[in-house]
Amino acid sequence: MKILVLNCGSSSVKYQLIDTASDIALAKGSVSRIGMSASVLTHKPHDRAEIKVSAEILDHINAVNYVLSILVSPNHGVIKDKNEIEAVGHRVVHGGEQFSDSVLITPELMTELRALIELAPLHNPHNIRGITACRQSLPDVPQVAVFDTSLHHKMPPHAFIYGIPYVFYKRYGIRRYGFHGPSHRYVSDRAAALMGKPTKDLKIITAHLGNGASVTALDGGVSIDTSMGFTPLEGLVMGTRSGDLDPAVILHIMAREELSLHEGNTLLNKHSGLIGISGISSDVREVLKAADADHPNAQLAIDVYCYRLRKYIGAYTAAMGGLDALVFTAGVGENSPVIRTLSVERLEFLGIEIDEGKNIDAVNREMDISAPEARVKTFVIPTNEELVIARDTERIVKDKDA
Amino acid sequence: MASAKIMVIGAGVMGQGLAEAIATAGYELTLVDKTTKLAERGLRCISESIDREIGRWGLTQADKKAILARIYPSSDLAQAEDAEIVLETIPEKLEKKQSLFEKLNRLCPMDTLLITNTGTLSISEIAESTDRPEKIIGMHFLNPVTRVPLVEIVKGLKTDEETFQKAVHFAEMLDKKWITVNEYPGYVTTRIIVPMLNEAMHVLMEGVASAEDIDEAMKLGFGFNVGPLALADMMGLDVVMSWMMNLITELSEHKYNPCPLLRKLVRAGHLGVKTGKGFFEYDIEGNRIDTEEARPEEAVK
Repeated sequence: MKILVLNCGSSSVKYQLIDTASDIALAKGSVSRIGMSASVLTHKPHDRAEIKVSAEILDHINAVNYVLSILVSPNHGVIKDKNEIEAVGHRVVHGGEQFSDSVLITPELMTELRALIELAPLHNPHNIRGITACRQSLPDVPQVAVFDTSLHHKMPPHAFIYGIPYVFYKRYGIRRYGFHGPSHRYVSDRAAALMGKPTKDLKIITAHLGNGASVTALDGGVSIDTSMGFTPLEGLVMGTRSGDLDPAVILHIMAREELSLHEGNTLLNKHSGLIGISGISSDVREVLKAADADHPNAQLAIDVYCYRLRKYIGAYTAAMGGLDALVFTAGVGENSPVIRTLSVERLEFLGIEIDEGKNIDAVNREMDISAPEARVKTFVIPTNEELVIARDTERIVKDKDA
Repeated sequence: MASAKIMVIGAGVMGQGLAEAIATAGYELTLVDKTTKLAERGLRCISESIDREIGRWGLTQADKKAILARIYPSSDLAQAEDAEIVLETIPEKLEKKQSLFEKLNRLCPMDTLLITNTGTLSISEIAESTDRPEKIIGMHFLNPVTRVPLVEIVKGLKTDEETFQKAVHFAEMLDKKWITVNEYPGYVTTRIIVPMLNEAMHVLMEGVASAEDIDEAMKLGFGFNVGPLALADMMGLDVVMSWMMNLITELSEHKYNPCPLLRKLVRAGHLGVKTGKGFFEYDIEGNRIDTEEARPEEAVK
């Protein structure tokens, strides 16, 4: 089945056209700077060179139409007619408590998605805009919403309730939801396949370390805990986000510096994490380079980053009462041997031991980096969220037709 | 250079604030002043304002680059013909505004949203300089535009519903809360705040309490972010006085009579933050200098 996978942000649309028969992305690309006079469309067919087109793309409807026209263009296209697109899969960040699985998009569902905007005001409105755009441009093609949150739907209450008055859970849905679901699902399934065992027999910790970062504990394929919470701010120290923090800290700073809610929010989401501690960059590679050059806070930033991750690995092993595999994925997880080494330091007692030679070789490719005698397998697995979205979309659409 | 769909005319303090708010909300705009130099100066001031906001953790360097890239400084008023929204923030002189709207009337298609940002002048009088008074509307933004969440949408006598709805949409684009005002001197905000500032000056003049204590009382007692005397300093004492003169001319009520202390400070050229001295003292950056006791009486001598 040929499936168009879309990830719509505030001023961007990322897309892949995936053929699920071969699991190949026939083309991938993005539209950026939507709404500005010089928007850019980047398009890479799987068998030809990447091209860039500059155009005035005013909104998401415009953007989707551009994507469709390049997919069928005689020179750069990968299909002859847009009718070849059999379904569209959308990444939708927040599925709230309702959605334990991906769902077929219907008018009723749109109402429910709009109601969820309150929980994810920064993401869901743009995801919805992308869906609306596709309903106009591809009115007869079934569409499916794949949520970041649904993998964590079975997380037990003791893992998702915060230690604040319960009434806020009832009143505003304040609880831990977790994100990065498709990525955690993809790499944990891959790890099980590499071990030749069914996921239901395995306890796996997956560390998705990208611009945003989260760790998930999957016991028998079920996410029983994950480090992101009500928003993607909780948990690990990230490129620009603080992660876990004494909540009194932000109240104290806001009072001292007389910050508005917006400023407090930006402080934690964009000025914190690696860039906040190091003052250098949100990019792990840059911070590592600076640490090598003895920049005072660069090593500290890396140490804080890895120490936090190491504590989560320990905590989740305890939460599951054991561990069979640890997976590193996403930009940092796939490409940074140093971060991996520091994050598992002193965890030999849990059975985690990595082979330094393999660790160094494992850059941007799938590899088992465990030491031969290690009780726990450690993997580096490049993630593929789009493929998860495509497969889910195919499954849901076939169910509908069945 | 791309011509943006929104035009702000006047690159003074208000125009800068509006341009920054529009660009921060993600829209491109042309910022027009009499010369390109003046418009570019406006852009530089916006850049400094963004730097201050970065210092307050509200924006990042990447945001700054994106925001500034959305603002096109220009001296070419004729580009208004391509704009969907034109907003003027030129000085508060009726004749000037009327002559500008006369030009805009000739340049712009009938469906352009034409907005005046006046705080005191009559929308209807400004609108009469065009042959489409029903298409003219007032939007009174408050300084600093990026921080104050309110805009007063002011209907002239002839403003039609369609124009009003467009103004509402524009307010929502900028994520501002809006209230509807039927044209009347001082609208809501200016009309209510000005007598309060004036009363605070009387309380000071009559020796009831010190300037510091008056501000402290209103901040802690009623939850104002800024006390009335500091607020008057921020607005500019000459501006506060001109509003009062305007209200007294229009409404002939003695309650709008400027306090003698205000008149004295304005005569002495102590206009508040912008001159370094008003009810309190300020450094070149506009930060308050904490003196033992602020003594405006002495400042006047």
